[in-house]
Amino acid sequence: MVKIITDSTSDITRDLAKSIGVTVVPLTVFFGKESFLDRVEISTEEFYKRLVGDVFPTTTQPSPGVFAEVYNQLAEETSEILVLVISSKLSGTYQSAINATSMIKKKGVKIEVIDSRNTAMALGLLTIKAAEMAAAGASLEKVAAATRESIARVQPVMYFETLKYLAKGGRIGKAQGLVGSLLSIKPIVTLDDGEVAPLVRVRSKKAGLDYLYNFVAGHAGNIEGLAVEHATSPEDADALVERLAALFPKEKIVRSTVSPVLGTYMGPNVVGVFLLRGNKPG
Amino acid sequence: MQPFRNLNGTDFKEMFSVATGWLEKSVAEVNALNVFPVPDGDTGTNMLLTMHSALEEIKEADTASVSTVTRAMSHGALMGARGNSGVILSQILSGLAQGLENAEFCDGAAIARAFEQASKAAYKGVTNPVEGTILTVIKDVAKAAKTRALNGEGDLNLIMEEAVTAAGESVANTPTLLKVLREAGVVDAGGQGLYIILDGARRYLRGESEAMQFRKPQIISSAIPLAPVSFTSPENICDDEIPFGYCTNLLLKGQSLDADKITRRLEKKGESLVVVGDESTIRIHIHTLDPGGVISYLTTLGTLDNVNIQNMDEQHEDFLEMQKDKSPTGDVSLVAVVAGEGFAEVFTSLGVSQIVPGGQTMNPSTKDILQAVEKSGSDNIIILPNNKNIILAAEQTLKVSKKNIKVVPTKTMPQGVAALLAFDYDADFETNHRLMSEAIDTVKTIEITRAVRSTTINGMNIKRKQTIAILDGGIVAACNEPDRCLLDALAKAGAAGAEVITLYYGSDVEEAAAQSVAALINQDYPQLQMEVIKGGQQHYSYILSVE
Repeated sequence: MVKIITDSTSDITRDLAKSIGVTVVPLTVFFGKESFLDRVEISTEEFYKRLVGDVFPTTTQPSPGVFAEVYNQLAEETSEILVLVISSKLSGTYQSAINATSMIKKKGVKIEVIDSRNTAMALGLLTIKAAEMAAAGASLEKVAAATRESIARVQPVMYFETLKYLAKGGRIGKAQGLVGSLLSIKPIVTLDDGEVAPLVRVRSKKAGLDYLYNFVAGHAGNIEGLAVEHATSPEDADALVERLAALFPKEKIVRSTVSPVLGTYMGPNVVGVFLLRGNKPG
Repeated sequence: MQPFRNLNGTDFKEMFSVATGWLEKSVAEVNALNVFPVPDGDTGTNMLLTMHSALEEIKEADTASVSTVTRAMSHGALMGARGNSGVILSQILSGLAQGLENAEFCDGAAIARAFEQASKAAYKGVTNPVEGTILTVIKDVAKAAKTRALNGEGDLNLIMEEAVTAAGESVANTPTLLKVLREAGVVDAGGQGLYIILDGARRYLRGESEAMQFRKPQIISSAIPLAPVSFTSPENICDDEIPFGYCTNLLLKGQSLDADKITRRLEKKGESLVVVGDESTIRIHIHTLDPGGVISYLTTLGTLDNVNIQNMDEQHEDFLEMQKDKSPTGDVSLVAVVAGEGFAEVFTSLGVSQIVPGGQTMNPSTKDILQAVEKSGSDNIIILPNNKNIILAAEQTLKVSKKNIKVVPTKTMPQGVAALLAFDYDADFETNHRLMSEAIDTVKTIEITRAVRSTTINGMNIKRKQTIAILDGGIVAACNEPDRCLLDALAKAGAAGAEVITLYYGSDVEEAAAQSVAALINQDYPQLQMEVIKGGQQHYSYILSVE
């Protein structure tokens, strides 16, 4: 069976990873010199407790060596591995995962590394789909092709309270134009070809959450996967899930929290919806 | 201490440790350079930690031969690689180890071979190699070392000298190759880091380890003039800020050259002067109107090399072109008619590229608006007139300009702000025009001013100089008490059901007074998000938007 590897920014929780048989390789978050493995040594809650005032943590990708260890472990049980990681425009994780492929000791192991051009549950939904296909017995070739095809259909839409952390962390991308407004505005951002891009600006959280809801509602009848995440305000995300569940009673909505590594760039109070559109155009 | 002829395992380990210490001294400077691929300011730190991890591994390693040391080093770096630059550095070290495989000693020929392997490994390790980065630097190093070795040079020191010089020149050249570096006005951070490591190794070979304690590595400056650093849309660049003249770059070679003396002499001849080097070679960079004068002076001191003179006006054109791509609203330019400097800043901060000053009692002409349209960087223009008396003048521009113009008929500045906020970065020109027009109705505008004459409107007797409140163009309250007027108008605007109120205060109002009005409003509507902004408009003491 094809084994699936992703990284911790997929926001696939430990329980979920276990139940779908996915291996999650953690990135690392640093507060000064103190380092924590993402989602392993620090939880989202603990992370945000430390993210007060002008504290700006930093992050780093897993080293090629770490990926190589995971590859070599999995190579004991399988000869086909799919690695699906955070956008290479946001992190060097993809680079590490690629470099590690030359460090596999066992012969005849096929590894495919895919730059998801996404992160958070947008990457998470792709990973879940890949895991389902793998469990159903699809070959590496098939799972990889389906995953590549699905990338264009996945979209994150995130309400941000501030772009301060994104700018400070150097991941502002095309949303640069949203910075420096004199009015207090709340940006709604997405990922465009793997980098952060602006969608709209709203004046209040309520308007922001309405935008998220309307975005999903606009794809009624064409939803293959759906996820909702929060950073520090579970009540906002829960309320959004409730509204969406009323609209789409049959859809399964994956619920998660943003990982500390992502929190480093998103800051507090982020709420995001992540949609994997179905095959209908538009 | 005598220079080395070749290195054994222990020497190599020591050289590596000295080079790491050398990098450590400049971590902050290297971090500050970091803009590519993501400007997160940690390139120096990541490279250093990767080096530390490699050092850690060789601490216990068998130093019987160079190859055992480099193999351990490479493994340590691979496990501890941090960040993009760290990963590439680890590839370089792994290449070095391959190049020195089975080598007991390392001499000039061996190091040249190792650099070549390192360069190959670095490129192979990156899926999408970009020139103007650390990759280019290691490639240039490898090339210089190889050329020297092929010419029969076996001396380790000489080859390292050649390699480090090549590294320095390569780093200086990175902004020529990579646009983001040019824009940010820096050389590549990873390349700079690698230069420092190699320079540290060279100094160790020279026997300077002791002296290095009291010195700091050199940060290479760009070989080309760098674009201004700040982010500005093309239209905002004033004519008087345009750099003029010729950017002049050259190498001066001679004997007992005196950099200080040259600096003093050239200071008067232009701007952005850089004079770096030693007694025998000095690199000079200057922006001058008289490159001829600079050159004739320098020829009296020695011989000139690599002379490069460029017309900066042309470079400035390139810069403007570059900035166009960065326009925050893509291929649509926004033009707004705005009264008050505070409002002008608000509109600019929301992405408007051309402000036409004007409003009540000072309506701009079609020509004024047309000029702003023509100055805009894009062919697709959306105009926000922000006053009912200006909409027509704005629409006239459609007849006289070749550009695609659409007018969003905003009658007040808050309507203009609401329209701007509705701008969808994903949508095309037509859709944005529609979205922005629809947004006009999402906001109510209250304007507080004084009656210019006594009159009766809507059954209200208004005396001259009395405060009146205008809600979306119609007078809704007239009172002797200005605050009362404002609160009446808010009630009529349906503030109870609103979410956000923005209070823009006029040029004749102090901020403290505006804050106390805001506090008053908050008492009546505690659920509202309240924002106080300096509008700087005349005639209206307050303009409020109710959303």
